[in-house]
Amino acid sequence: MTKQTLPAWSEPFADPRRQLKRGLRLRGVTRQWAWGDATGAGVRVGIIDSGLENAHPALRGRVVENVTVEMTDDGPKVVPDEPIDLFGHGTACGGIILSLAPEAELVSIRVLGADLRGKGTAFAAGLEWAIDRGLQVCNLSLSSKSESLYPVFHDLADRAYFQSTAVISAANNVPAPSYPSLFSSVFSVAAHGEPDPWRVYYNPSPPVEFGAWGVDVPIAWKDGGSTVATGNSFAAPHIAGLVARIVSKHPGLSPFELKAILASVADNPGRRHPWRHRPAPGR
Amino acid sequence: MAQPPTDAALAALVAAARRSAIARRLQGDVETRLLQSIVDATARLFDAEASSIALFETDPDRLEFRVAAGEKGAGAIGLTVPPTQGIAGYVYSTGQALALSDVGNDPRFNRDAAEQTGYIPRSIAAAPLFDEHGTLGVLQVLDKRGSPTFSLADMELLAVFASQATVAIAAARVQRDTARLLRSVLGSIGPELSADEVEQLVGAATADLDPDDDTPFWTLVDRIARLRALGDGETTLVADLLEVLAEHAGRTRRSGRG
Repeated sequence: MTKQTLPAWSEPFADPRRQLKRGLRLRGVTRQWAWGDATGAGVRVGIIDSGLENAHPALRGRVVENVTVEMTDDGPKVVPDEPIDLFGHGTACGGIILSLAPEAELVSIRVLGADLRGKGTAFAAGLEWAIDRGLQVCNLSLSSKSESLYPVFHDLADRAYFQSTAVISAANNVPAPSYPSLFSSVFSVAAHGEPDPWRVYYNPSPPVEFGAWGVDVPIAWKDGGSTVATGNSFAAPHIAGLVARIVSKHPGLSPFELKAILASVADNPGRRHPWRHRPAPGR
Repeated sequence: MAQPPTDAALAALVAAARRSAIARRLQGDVETRLLQSIVDATARLFDAEASSIALFETDPDRLEFRVAAGEKGAGAIGLTVPPTQGIAGYVYSTGQALALSDVGNDPRFNRDAAEQTGYIPRSIAAAPLFDEHGTLGVLQVLDKRGSPTFSLADMELLAVFASQATVAIAAARVQRDTARLLRSVLGSIGPELSADEVEQLVGAATADLDPDDDTPFWTLVDRIARLRALGDGETTLVADLLEVLAEHAGRTRRSGRG
């Protein structure tokens, strides 16, 4: 298997020394400046996924709301939800976010359920609700391949961008069209394999702009359980957690500014790291 | 309001169904054979205990394990799981590939499915099979022997196999779905037809197409299917022989009439 035939967006992060030589270093924009001792306090993070198991120890009682999308004859409707997680994946993402931003508040927007038909529409409705609610950060592990939903997600991504909701989206593993993960206004994230939740790469060759830990990540799982997981969908919440920290220290930053800050503090090789970061609180 | 299907339309549908059935008989179950070769290759290349492909089916919604490979894989064939459960369900529902390890330590992990297959894996990687119309199913690989976990390169390789499987499915589905296609066509050209009437018409159209029939017609189709292994020269010879037979049959019919 040669590198040329590898399809995934993770490839630049598999060999950062060779592939990520270029970075962006903004004077004074260090990790200390970017998030320092911030905890994510005051930031609400929407998790658009399989639900959140509020009582899971990894969620530390930080879930403030659970909603789900019901498909009705009049279209999708967002209604209150039980504190449940169908698969465990949403809880896994929530746990990762809180490991980096322990005082962030989580909002569960469950868009996976028994009715699979129209799931792209449900997903769009969930994202719209999160934007209308003014959540500062949204974590998406899903994306839609439906051409018909392209304009819907494009509009939502623009609305999020213009009102400074940071949409963090896991890149799909195959370079096929998928929305909104490949839109320029979202934070598109793929996995790297270095076991460090604070290690971030900036890829100056979009569509996937950021790499975070997504291989053999210890995660929370269904029914109070835990496991070890690999996938881009476990990389995205690491970026969501860091963004929550930055936003809690610098409220009101736009997605454009947040991306520039992440690029500036990224671990791209060939640069000195005067801002050597400290271990995460509680880890 | 659309008219009920006319006899002519029905005759055309019967002809289409007949051609499709013949093509299916000539080629065998292409889909299963292709998918089997993909899971065989996946299990071998990953040096894994098992590999399997589950496809989404409706009425009721489920993921059905169609093929499996590896020493521990056989028990999965025919197994169905709800698409709202488990790792296969999540990967199907979201289109996101993922891998989990240590799953055997979690007593809740897919216990029902594992009990049915008699096999509880320690690690599992799953990738969606999707085309431009959506996700069709899931390719799984269980317990890589050389490593307790799956790497990024593993995930990427799995995605390559998944895209191969998707192509195989797309190529074979047209044939498999003849009856479904007929139902859909009849339903749309005769919306006032009840479900029972549609079923009756489809039944009439496909009644004499049972591929298990031991009729001379199907015997002929089977023999032609076996000719696929022939070279160009032999194929030309067989075609010439058939041409001679056809001419002979035509002359016999004409002389019979005259």
